[in-house]
Amino acid sequence: MNNAVAEQKPILECRDLRKAFGAFEVLRSISFEMQAGVVLSVIGASGSGKSTLLRCLNYLEQPSSGVVFLDGEPIGLRRQADGGLKPDSPANIARMRAQIGMVFQQFNLWPHMSALENVIEAPRQVKGLKRAEAIEIGRHYLGKVNLLDKADAYPARLSGGQQQRVAIARALAMQPKVMLFDEATSALDPELTGEVLDVMRALAEEGTTMVVVTHEMRFARDVSDRVMFLHQGVIEEDGAPAQVFGNPASERCRAFLSSVAH
Amino acid sequence: MFSETLRQSLDLSIFWEYRQTLLVGLLQNVYIFFASAALAMALAVVVGLARLSKRFWVRGLSTFYVELFRNTPEFVLLIWVYYVLPILLSRLLATQFNLSPFLAAVLGLGVAYSGFMSETVRAGIQAIPKGHREAGTALGMRDGAILRRIVLPQALRRMLPEMLSQLVSLFKATSIVSLIAVPDIMYQVSMVNVEQMRPLPLYTGAALLFCLVIISATQMIQILSERWRRRGWA
Ligand SMILES: Nc1ncnc2c1ncn2[C@@H]1O[C@H](COP(=O)(O)OP(=O)(O)O)[C@@H](O)[C@H]1O
Ligand SMILES: [Mg+2]
Repeated sequence: MNNAVAEQKPILECRDLRKAFGAFEVLRSISFEMQAGVVLSVIGASGSGKSTLLRCLNYLEQPSSGVVFLDGEPIGLRRQADGGLKPDSPANIARMRAQIGMVFQQFNLWPHMSALENVIEAPRQVKGLKRAEAIEIGRHYLGKVNLLDKADAYPARLSGGQQQRVAIARALAMQPKVMLFDEATSALDPELTGEVLDVMRALAEEGTTMVVVTHEMRFARDVSDRVMFLHQGVIEEDGAPAQVFGNPASERCRAFLSSVAH
Repeated sequence: MFSETLRQSLDLSIFWEYRQTLLVGLLQNVYIFFASAALAMALAVVVGLARLSKRFWVRGLSTFYVELFRNTPEFVLLIWVYYVLPILLSRLLATQFNLSPFLAAVLGLGVAYSGFMSETVRAGIQAIPKGHREAGTALGMRDGAILRRIVLPQALRRMLPEMLSQLVSLFKATSIVSLIAVPDIMYQVSMVNVEQMRPLPLYTGAALLFCLVIISATQMIQILSERWRRRGWA
């Protein structure tokens, strides 16, 4: 990374993020910065805290301590006049979340709405767009995931791969600053993962800022700019894909990579 | 001789003679049904949501409400609302307070059925996967919008069969309102019976009329919901 880029303000920053469920510490002091346009893949064994990390990034989980900044603004906390931070209002938290797209393993489409209705719901409800305006945006993003012909189909009539692509269009329609993907292809039959990964690859090529939790090591290696290996809630390895996959410093990362190879 | 008696007493034409009175009576049942159903469902949504509240005391209070009204016979509740509630309210407000039989019937039945229906609402809401709500939250939607746009529309459709059978019970239960002197169909039938002494055709006719209304209404709703299902989501 050259100096010009390194000096930019990070689009996303985690400062000493911790999360415990009861006495169980899932995330232990996570700190990192991320520049706009970067694709960051997060890998690690099941239970290492990857989903919890993503869910803290958009405040679906409230961190036990530490702060996440989106474009310099703290999420879930408000700066006081004296410089201190206090809990933010639900309205402001929602406003911040609206700038972060999230794609879930289980798609989570709303079954009582057609594909297009799913996509235009948040632009209408959250941004208050007029129906015609929202439809225009909705159709644009359905086109981007190659599903314009399924705009009026209900989720039950779509394959898993199509549902996940609608879910991606739904998140994109809010025109977020960062997209989060939590194992977007893990619930899919193997023959359907390709169409979803293709969409994600196209987004990456367009310069979308993405945090991708994935078990697809090929995707992490070929598409991302940066790979992070999480182990028991700690960042064990963080670097360019060539370095993480080719010559990891952490012994645990090495062991994990050889365990998931083929 | 015997068959002649049977024929006479089963003569439903007497029902036809009194059709106007009877239909006016039935209309009272229909009015009370719609008013108490609206009240019951509105209360059921509020109480059903309260049962899922994060706050301990809201949950406790709503559980008390549900148990109280689910386990009190409708008839007792009706009598209580008609005779006891006005006395209590008069004392509390220190003014004369009266409830019309119609209002008492709507209130009594509405509250009684809201207890059952709130359980249906609660189960319906709980059946909606948490991920559906989280997807809305992640997009920046507020809790109210998520409830209104995502949870309730799905939950209400899911509740439909159960709700329908409770509405049928509610309509049947409107037949007890004559006991607090609402001039409903049962009231009209007993009035005619006092004059004519023809219990068999009169009460049989009333039974058949109830049956007819309920069967045609449920058939209609089933056809409607079948149309919903065909729109694409199960
Ligand atoms: N809501 C929760 N309550 C209690 N424990 C949780 C909760 N969510 C996650 N965990 C625990 O935190 C650990 C990390 O979970 P998760 O972030 O889902 O890991 P990953 O996505 O890497 O598989 C797991 O041991 C899991 O059981
Ligand atoms: Mg996970």
